[in-house]
Amino acid sequence: MLEFTYKAHCDLLGKFKIDTEYDIVTVRQTIRQYAKDMGMGIVDQTRITTAVSELFRNMYNYAGGGEVLIERGEVENHHALIVTCTDQGPGIEDIELAMTDGYTSGQGMGYGLPGAKRLVDRFEIQSKLKEGTTVRMMKWK
Amino acid sequence: MKEILNIKNTKERIDRIEDILASVASGDMDARINSEIEDDFSGIEAAIDLLINDLTDELRQRENMQKELENKLSKIQDQQKTILQQQEDLLELSSPVSKVWDNILILPVIGTLDSQRTQVMMENLLQKIVETGCTISILDITGVPTVDTQVANHLLKTVTAARLLGAECIISGISPAIAQTIVHLGIDLSAIRTKATLQDAMIFAMKQNKRADEVRALGNLALPNEKTD
Ligand SMILES: Nc1ncnc2c1ncn2[C@@H]1O[C@H](COP(=O)(O)OP(=O)(O)OP(=O)(O)O)[C@@H](O)[C@H]1O
Ligand SMILES: [Mg+2]
Repeated sequence: MLEFTYKAHCDLLGKFKIDTEYDIVTVRQTIRQYAKDMGMGIVDQTRITTAVSELFRNMYNYAGGGEVLIERGEVENHHALIVTCTDQGPGIEDIELAMTDGYTSGQGMGYGLPGAKRLVDRFEIQSKLKEGTTVRMMKWK
Repeated sequence: MKEILNIKNTKERIDRIEDILASVASGDMDARINSEIEDDFSGIEAAIDLLINDLTDELRQRENMQKELENKLSKIQDQQKTILQQQEDLLELSSPVSKVWDNILILPVIGTLDSQRTQVMMENLLQKIVETGCTISILDITGVPTVDTQVANHLLKTVTAARLLGAECIISGISPAIAQTIVHLGIDLSAIRTKATLQDAMIFAMKQNKRADEVRALGNLALPNEKTD
Protein backbone atom coordinates (compact mmCIF):
# COMPACT_ATOMS: atom_id res chain seq x y z
CA MET A 1 0.00 0.00 0.00
CA LEU A 2 1.26 3.45 -0.81
CA GLU A 3 1.50 5.85 2.10
CA PHE A 4 1.05 9.56 1.75
CA THR A 5 2.34 12.28 3.99
CA TYR A 6 -0.82 14.32 3.80
CA LYS A 7 -3.16 12.47 6.07
CA ALA A 8 -6.41 14.26 6.10
CA HIS A 9 -9.68 13.88 7.89
CA CYS A 10 -11.93 13.29 4.94
CA ASP A 11 -15.41 12.48 3.78
CA LEU A 12 -15.66 10.19 0.81
CA LEU A 13 -17.55 11.86 -2.02
CA GLY A 14 -17.20 9.20 -4.67
CA LYS A 15 -15.22 6.37 -6.15
CA PHE A 16 -15.04 5.81 -9.89
CA LYS A 17 -13.35 3.65 -12.46
CA ILE A 18 -11.59 5.07 -15.49
CA ASP A 19 -11.75 2.52 -18.26
CA THR A 20 -12.72 4.55 -21.31
CA GLU A 21 -12.37 8.04 -22.72
CA TYR A 22 -16.02 8.47 -21.90
CA ASP A 23 -15.23 7.81 -18.20
CA ILE A 24 -12.55 10.49 -18.36
CA VAL A 25 -15.14 13.02 -19.44
CA THR A 26 -17.93 12.06 -17.04
CA VAL A 27 -15.78 11.75 -13.92
CA ARG A 28 -14.04 14.99 -14.80
CA GLN A 29 -17.45 16.66 -14.98
CA THR A 30 -18.38 15.14 -11.62
CA ILE A 31 -15.25 16.63 -10.06
CA ARG A 32 -16.01 20.02 -11.55
CA GLN A 33 -19.43 19.82 -9.91
CA TYR A 34 -17.91 18.94 -6.51
CA ALA A 35 -15.52 21.88 -6.83
CA LYS A 36 -18.44 24.13 -7.65
CA ASP A 37 -20.48 22.77 -4.72
CA MET A 38 -17.55 23.52 -2.40
CA GLY A 39 -17.72 27.11 -3.54
CA MET A 40 -14.69 27.25 -5.80
CA GLY A 41 -14.68 29.93 -8.48
CA ILE A 42 -14.56 29.24 -12.19
CA VAL A 43 -10.77 29.50 -12.38
CA ASP A 44 -10.19 26.98 -9.59
CA GLN A 45 -12.89 24.69 -11.01
CA THR A 46 -11.14 24.77 -14.36
CA ARG A 47 -7.75 24.14 -12.76
CA ILE A 48 -8.73 21.09 -10.76
CA THR A 49 -10.78 19.71 -13.66
CA THR A 50 -7.86 20.07 -16.04
CA ALA A 51 -5.41 18.59 -13.52
CA VAL A 52 -7.56 15.49 -12.98
CA SER A 53 -8.06 15.20 -16.72
CA GLU A 54 -4.28 14.86 -17.08
CA LEU A 55 -4.12 12.11 -14.47
CA PHE A 56 -7.09 10.26 -15.96
CA ARG A 57 -5.58 10.38 -19.42
CA ASN A 58 -2.28 9.07 -18.11
CA MET A 59 -4.05 6.17 -16.39
CA TYR A 60 -5.98 5.48 -19.57
CA ASN A 61 -2.98 5.80 -21.88
CA TYR A 62 -0.23 4.15 -19.86
CA ALA A 63 -1.93 1.86 -17.34
CA GLY A 64 -5.03 0.72 -19.21
CA GLY A 65 -7.24 2.53 -16.72
CA GLY A 66 -7.50 2.98 -13.00
CA GLU A 67 -9.52 4.14 -10.07
CA VAL A 68 -10.39 7.55 -8.68
CA LEU A 69 -11.23 8.42 -5.12
CA ILE A 70 -12.77 11.81 -4.47
CA GLU A 71 -12.78 13.17 -0.94
CA ARG A 72 -13.45 16.37 0.89
CA GLY A 73 -11.53 17.19 4.01
CA GLU A 74 -9.76 19.61 6.29
CA VAL A 75 -6.05 19.77 5.54
CA GLU A 76 -3.68 22.29 7.10
CA ASN A 77 -6.64 24.50 7.97
CA HIS A 78 -7.96 24.47 4.44
CA HIS A 79 -11.16 23.07 3.01
CA ALA A 80 -9.70 20.68 0.49
CA LEU A 81 -10.97 18.73 -2.46
CA ILE A 82 -8.81 15.63 -2.60
CA VAL A 83 -8.52 13.43 -5.66
CA THR A 84 -6.54 10.21 -5.57
CA CYS A 85 -5.85 8.27 -8.76
CA THR A 86 -4.58 4.73 -8.49
CA ASP A 87 -3.63 2.36 -11.25
CA GLN A 88 -2.12 -1.08 -11.51
CA GLY A 89 -0.12 -0.20 -14.58
CA PRO A 90 3.58 -0.62 -15.36
CA GLY A 91 4.63 2.09 -12.94
CA ILE A 92 7.01 4.97 -13.63
CA GLU A 93 10.70 4.19 -13.62
CA ASP A 94 12.02 7.68 -13.07
CA ILE A 95 9.51 9.95 -11.39
CA GLU A 96 11.77 12.97 -11.52
CA LEU A 97 12.06 12.56 -15.28
CA ALA A 98 8.31 12.03 -15.67
CA MET A 99 7.73 15.24 -13.71
CA THR A 100 9.99 17.20 -16.06
CA ASP A 101 8.38 19.70 -18.42
CA GLY A 102 8.37 18.34 -21.92
CA TYR A 103 9.27 14.76 -21.08
CA THR A 104 7.05 12.19 -22.75
CA SER A 105 7.67 8.53 -23.42
CA GLY A 106 5.05 8.61 -26.15
CA GLN A 107 3.47 11.15 -28.47
CA GLY A 108 2.30 13.57 -25.78
CA MET A 109 3.53 17.05 -24.99
CA GLY A 110 5.04 15.94 -21.72
CA TYR A 111 3.26 18.60 -19.69
CA GLY A 112 0.57 16.47 -18.07
CA LEU A 113 2.21 15.62 -14.75
CA PRO A 114 4.26 18.79 -14.15
CA GLY A 115 1.34 20.89 -15.41
CA ALA A 116 -1.14 19.17 -13.10
CA LYS A 117 1.22 19.79 -10.19
CA ARG A 118 1.23 23.51 -10.94
CA LEU A 119 -2.56 23.60 -11.11
CA VAL A 120 -3.20 22.29 -7.59
CA ASP A 121 -2.12 23.11 -4.04
CA ARG A 122 -0.73 19.71 -3.11
CA PHE A 123 0.56 17.05 -5.42
CA GLU A 124 2.08 13.73 -4.50
CA ILE A 125 3.06 10.86 -6.69
CA GLN A 126 4.26 7.41 -5.82
CA SER A 127 5.01 4.63 -8.20
CA LYS A 128 6.47 1.19 -8.19
CA LEU A 129 7.57 -0.66 -11.30
CA LYS A 130 5.19 -3.45 -12.32
CA GLU A 131 2.84 -2.53 -9.46
CA GLY A 132 1.35 0.78 -10.41
CA THR A 133 1.11 4.47 -9.76
CA THR A 134 -0.80 6.59 -7.29
CA VAL A 135 -1.20 10.33 -7.50
CA ARG A 136 -2.96 12.43 -4.91
CA MET A 137 -3.87 16.03 -5.52
CA MET A 138 -5.49 18.58 -3.27
CA LYS A 139 -7.09 21.85 -4.13
CA TRP A 140 -7.94 24.34 -1.41
CA LYS A 141 -11.28 26.09 -1.47
CA MET B 1 -14.85 -72.55 -9.93
CA LYS B 2 -14.80 -71.18 -13.44
CA GLU B 3 -17.85 -69.96 -15.24
CA ILE B 4 -17.90 -70.58 -18.94
CA LEU B 5 -19.00 -67.46 -20.90
CA ASN B 6 -21.24 -67.95 -23.85
CA ILE B 7 -19.85 -65.63 -26.57
CA LYS B 8 -20.19 -66.07 -30.30
CA ASN B 9 -17.93 -64.57 -32.97
CA THR B 10 -15.76 -62.83 -30.36
CA LYS B 11 -13.12 -61.62 -32.73
CA GLU B 12 -15.48 -60.04 -35.30
CA ARG B 13 -17.60 -58.40 -32.60
CA ILE B 14 -14.64 -56.83 -30.84
CA ASP B 15 -13.43 -55.60 -34.22
CA ARG B 16 -16.87 -54.12 -34.84
CA ILE B 17 -16.85 -52.33 -31.48
CA GLU B 18 -13.46 -50.89 -32.33
CA ASP B 19 -14.76 -49.74 -35.73
CA ILE B 20 -17.85 -48.13 -34.24
CA LEU B 21 -15.87 -46.33 -31.53
CA ALA B 22 -13.43 -45.12 -34.17
CA SER B 23 -16.34 -43.80 -36.30
CA VAL B 24 -17.86 -42.03 -33.31
CA ALA B 25 -14.51 -40.56 -32.37
CA SER B 26 -14.16 -39.19 -35.88
CA GLY B 27 -17.54 -37.50 -35.65
CA ASP B 28 -20.05 -39.99 -37.04
CA MET B 29 -22.65 -39.80 -34.33
CA ASP B 30 -25.05 -42.18 -36.10
CA ALA B 31 -22.79 -45.20 -35.78
CA ARG B 32 -24.14 -47.87 -33.43
CA ILE B 33 -23.20 -51.47 -32.81
CA ASN B 34 -26.82 -52.71 -33.01
CA SER B 35 -25.86 -56.30 -32.31
CA GLU B 36 -28.58 -58.85 -33.12
CA ILE B 37 -26.91 -61.62 -31.22
CA GLU B 38 -28.10 -62.39 -27.69
CA ASP B 39 -25.45 -63.78 -25.43
CA ASP B 40 -23.20 -62.87 -22.47
CA PHE B 41 -21.47 -60.15 -24.53
CA SER B 42 -24.51 -58.35 -25.96
CA GLY B 43 -25.01 -56.46 -22.64
CA ILE B 44 -21.70 -54.71 -23.15
CA GLU B 45 -22.56 -53.89 -26.76
CA ALA B 46 -25.90 -52.43 -25.69
CA ALA B 47 -24.20 -50.41 -22.95
CA ILE B 48 -21.73 -48.95 -25.44
CA ASP B 49 -24.61 -47.98 -27.75
CA LEU B 50 -26.31 -46.25 -24.83
CA LEU B 51 -23.16 -44.38 -24.01
CA ILE B 52 -22.88 -43.22 -27.61
CA ASN B 53 -26.52 -42.07 -27.43
CA ASP B 54 -25.80 -40.00 -24.32
CA LEU B 55 -22.70 -38.55 -25.88
CA THR B 56 -24.62 -37.63 -29.02
CA ASP B 57 -27.33 -35.89 -27.01
CA GLU B 58 -24.82 -33.91 -25.07
CA LEU B 59 -22.92 -32.89 -28.17
CA ARG B 60 -26.15 -31.76 -29.85
CA GLN B 61 -27.05 -29.68 -26.81
CA ARG B 62 -23.61 -28.13 -26.79
CA GLU B 63 -23.88 -27.35 -30.49
CA ASN B 64 -27.28 -25.74 -29.96
CA MET B 65 -25.99 -23.69 -27.11
CA GLN B 66 -23.03 -22.59 -29.12
CA LYS B 67 -25.26 -21.60 -32.01
CA GLU B 68 -27.47 -19.65 -29.64
CA LEU B 69 -24.44 -17.91 -28.18
CA GLU B 70 -23.13 -17.11 -31.63
CA ASN B 71 -26.51 -15.67 -32.59
CA LYS B 72 -26.59 -13.53 -29.50
CA LEU B 73 -23.03 -12.41 -30.06
CA SER B 74 -23.70 -11.39 -33.63
CA LYS B 75 -26.80 -9.52 -32.48
CA ILE B 76 -24.74 -7.67 -29.90
CA GLN B 77 -22.10 -6.94 -32.49
CA ASP B 78 -24.76 -5.57 -34.80
CA GLN B 79 -26.08 -3.35 -32.04
CA GLN B 80 -22.59 -2.21 -31.26
CA LYS B 81 -22.05 -1.37 -34.90
CA THR B 82 -25.25 0.66 -34.94
CA ILE B 83 -24.19 2.52 -31.83
CA LEU B 84 -20.75 3.21 -33.24
CA GLN B 85 -22.33 4.36 -36.48
CA GLN B 86 -24.65 6.66 -34.57
CA GLN B 87 -21.73 7.98 -32.58
CA GLU B 88 -19.86 8.64 -35.78
CA ASP B 89 -22.86 10.42 -37.25
CA LEU B 90 -23.00 12.53 -34.12
CA LEU B 91 -19.33 13.27 -34.48
CA GLU B 92 -19.82 14.48 -37.99
CA LEU B 93 -22.75 16.58 -36.92
CA SER B 94 -20.90 18.09 -34.04
CA SER B 95 -18.00 19.31 -36.11
CA PRO B 96 -19.64 21.20 -38.95
CA VAL B 97 -17.23 23.23 -41.00
CA SER B 98 -18.82 25.99 -42.99
CA LYS B 99 -17.70 28.69 -45.30
CA VAL B 100 -19.18 31.80 -43.76
CA TRP B 101 -17.55 34.41 -45.88
CA ASP B 102 -15.38 34.71 -48.88
CA ASN B 103 -12.19 32.77 -48.12
CA ILE B 104 -13.15 32.16 -44.47
CA LEU B 105 -14.06 28.83 -42.86
CA ILE B 106 -15.51 28.51 -39.39
CA LEU B 107 -15.47 25.42 -37.24
CA PRO B 108 -17.31 25.84 -33.98
CA VAL B 109 -16.26 23.12 -31.58
CA ILE B 110 -18.82 22.21 -28.96
CA GLY B 111 -18.45 19.78 -26.11
CA THR B 112 -15.58 17.57 -25.24
CA LEU B 113 -12.67 16.96 -27.51
CA ASP B 114 -11.72 13.34 -27.10
CA SER B 115 -9.09 12.03 -29.45
CA GLN B 116 -11.61 10.43 -31.79
CA ARG B 117 -13.60 13.61 -32.18
CA THR B 118 -10.52 15.69 -32.67
CA GLN B 119 -9.44 13.34 -35.41
CA VAL B 120 -12.76 13.72 -37.23
CA MET B 121 -12.75 17.44 -36.69
CA MET B 122 -9.25 17.82 -38.04
CA GLU B 123 -9.98 15.69 -41.10
CA ASN B 124 -13.17 17.64 -41.83
CA LEU B 125 -11.41 20.94 -41.55
CA LEU B 126 -8.46 19.95 -43.73
CA GLN B 127 -10.75 18.49 -46.35
CA LYS B 128 -12.85 21.64 -46.39
CA ILE B 129 -9.72 23.75 -46.77
CA VAL B 130 -8.74 21.72 -49.82
CA GLU B 131 -12.26 21.74 -51.28
CA THR B 132 -12.90 25.45 -50.88
CA GLY B 133 -9.39 26.80 -51.21
CA CYS B 134 -10.10 29.08 -48.25
CA THR B 135 -6.94 30.45 -46.71
CA ILE B 136 -8.33 31.46 -43.32
CA SER B 137 -10.07 29.14 -40.91
CA ILE B 138 -11.40 29.93 -37.48
CA LEU B 139 -11.61 27.26 -34.84
CA ASP B 140 -13.95 28.49 -32.16
CA ILE B 141 -13.62 26.60 -28.89
CA THR B 142 -16.05 28.67 -26.81
CA GLY B 143 -18.02 25.46 -26.27
CA VAL B 144 -15.11 23.39 -25.04
CA PRO B 145 -15.14 23.20 -21.24
CA THR B 146 -11.71 21.68 -20.66
CA VAL B 147 -8.48 22.19 -22.54
CA ASP B 148 -5.86 19.77 -21.27
CA THR B 149 -2.50 18.85 -22.81
CA GLN B 150 -4.09 16.36 -25.17
CA VAL B 151 -6.60 18.86 -26.54
CA ALA B 152 -3.91 21.52 -26.81
CA ASN B 153 -1.69 19.07 -28.64
CA HIS B 154 -4.51 18.28 -31.09
CA LEU B 155 -5.17 21.97 -31.63
CA LEU B 156 -1.50 22.60 -32.37
CA LYS B 157 -1.42 19.71 -34.80
CA THR B 158 -4.56 20.91 -36.55
CA VAL B 159 -3.14 24.39 -36.93
CA THR B 160 0.15 23.03 -38.25
CA ALA B 161 -1.58 20.75 -40.75
CA ALA B 162 -3.81 23.60 -41.95
CA ARG B 163 -0.74 25.76 -42.39
CA LEU B 164 0.85 23.08 -44.53
CA LEU B 165 -2.22 23.32 -46.78
CA GLY B 166 -1.74 27.04 -47.03
CA ALA B 167 -4.45 28.11 -44.61
CA GLU B 168 -4.02 30.15 -41.50
CA CYS B 169 -5.91 28.89 -38.49
CA ILE B 170 -7.18 31.25 -35.82
CA ILE B 171 -8.39 29.88 -32.52
CA SER B 172 -11.07 31.87 -30.78
CA GLY B 173 -13.10 31.51 -27.65
CA ILE B 174 -10.45 30.67 -25.09
CA SER B 175 -12.02 31.80 -21.83
CA PRO B 176 -9.91 33.64 -19.22
CA ALA B 177 -10.08 30.61 -16.92
CA ILE B 178 -8.89 28.29 -19.67
CA ALA B 179 -6.18 30.75 -20.71
CA GLN B 180 -4.82 30.79 -17.14
CA THR B 181 -4.98 27.04 -16.95
CA ILE B 182 -3.08 26.61 -20.21
CA VAL B 183 -0.37 28.92 -18.90
CA HIS B 184 -0.06 26.88 -15.69
CA LEU B 185 0.08 23.66 -17.63
CA GLY B 186 3.09 25.19 -19.31
CA ILE B 187 1.90 24.75 -22.86
CA ASP B 188 3.16 27.30 -25.34
CA LEU B 189 0.39 28.29 -27.71
CA SER B 190 2.20 31.38 -28.93
CA ALA B 191 2.70 29.75 -32.32
CA ILE B 192 -1.06 29.88 -32.76
CA ARG B 193 -2.93 33.02 -33.56
CA THR B 194 -5.67 33.35 -30.97
CA LYS B 195 -8.53 35.80 -30.57
CA ALA B 196 -10.70 36.25 -27.51
CA THR B 197 -14.03 35.91 -29.27
CA LEU B 198 -15.37 34.56 -32.52
CA GLN B 199 -16.29 38.11 -33.45
CA ASP B 200 -12.70 39.31 -32.98
CA ALA B 201 -11.52 36.41 -35.08
CA MET B 202 -14.01 37.27 -37.85
CA ILE B 203 -12.93 40.91 -37.89
CA PHE B 204 -9.30 39.87 -38.08
CA ALA B 205 -10.02 37.39 -40.85
CA MET B 206 -11.89 39.98 -42.92
CA LYS B 207 -9.05 42.44 -42.53
CA GLN B 208 -6.68 39.77 -43.79
CA ASN B 209 -9.02 39.22 -46.71
CA LYS B 210 -9.05 42.89 -47.54
CA ARG B 211 -5.29 43.04 -47.38
CA ALA B 212 -5.07 40.05 -49.68
CA ASP B 213 -7.45 41.75 -52.12
CA GLU B 214 -5.32 44.86 -52.10
CA VAL B 215 -2.19 42.88 -52.76
CA ARG B 216 -3.95 41.11 -55.58
CA ALA B 217 -5.12 44.43 -57.01
CA LEU B 218 -1.56 45.68 -56.89
CA GLY B 219 -0.50 42.53 -58.63
CA ASN B 220 -3.04 43.12 -61.39
CA LEU B 221 -1.73 46.62 -61.88
CA ALA B 222 1.81 45.38 -61.98
CA LEU B 223 1.11 42.60 -64.39
CA PRO B 224 0.54 44.64 -67.60
CA ASN B 225 3.63 46.70 -66.83
CA GLU B 226 5.62 43.56 -66.59
CA LYS B 227 4.37 42.48 -69.97
CA THR B 228 5.32 45.71 -71.67
CA ASP B 229 8.81 45.52 -70.23
N1 LIG C 1 -0.06 6.34 -14.67
C1 LIG C 1 1.10 6.16 -15.32
N2 LIG C 1 1.62 4.90 -15.49
C2 LIG C 1 2.78 4.74 -16.14
N3 LIG C 1 3.49 5.73 -16.70
C3 LIG C 1 3.04 6.98 -16.58
C4 LIG C 1 1.82 7.28 -15.90
N4 LIG C 1 1.62 8.61 -15.94
C5 LIG C 1 2.66 9.13 -16.61
N5 LIG C 1 3.50 8.17 -17.01
C6 LIG C 1 4.78 8.37 -17.73
O1 LIG C 1 5.24 9.68 -17.48
C7 LIG C 1 5.43 10.40 -18.70
C8 LIG C 1 5.08 11.86 -18.50
O2 LIG C 1 3.68 12.01 -18.28
P1 LIG C 1 2.97 13.37 -18.66
O3 LIG C 1 1.53 13.27 -18.38
O4 LIG C 1 3.71 14.49 -18.01
O5 LIG C 1 3.24 13.51 -20.22
P2 LIG C 1 2.56 12.69 -21.42
O6 LIG C 1 1.37 11.95 -20.93
O7 LIG C 1 3.61 11.91 -22.10
O8 LIG C 1 2.09 13.85 -22.41
P3 LIG C 1 0.87 14.89 -22.14
O9 LIG C 1 0.29 14.57 -20.80
O10 LIG C 1 1.48 16.24 -22.19
O11 LIG C 1 -0.11 14.68 -23.25
C9 LIG C 1 4.55 9.69 -19.70
O12 LIG C 1 5.04 9.85 -21.01
C10 LIG C 1 4.65 8.24 -19.23
O13 LIG C 1 5.81 7.63 -19.71
MG1 LIG D 1 -0.13 12.86 -19.78
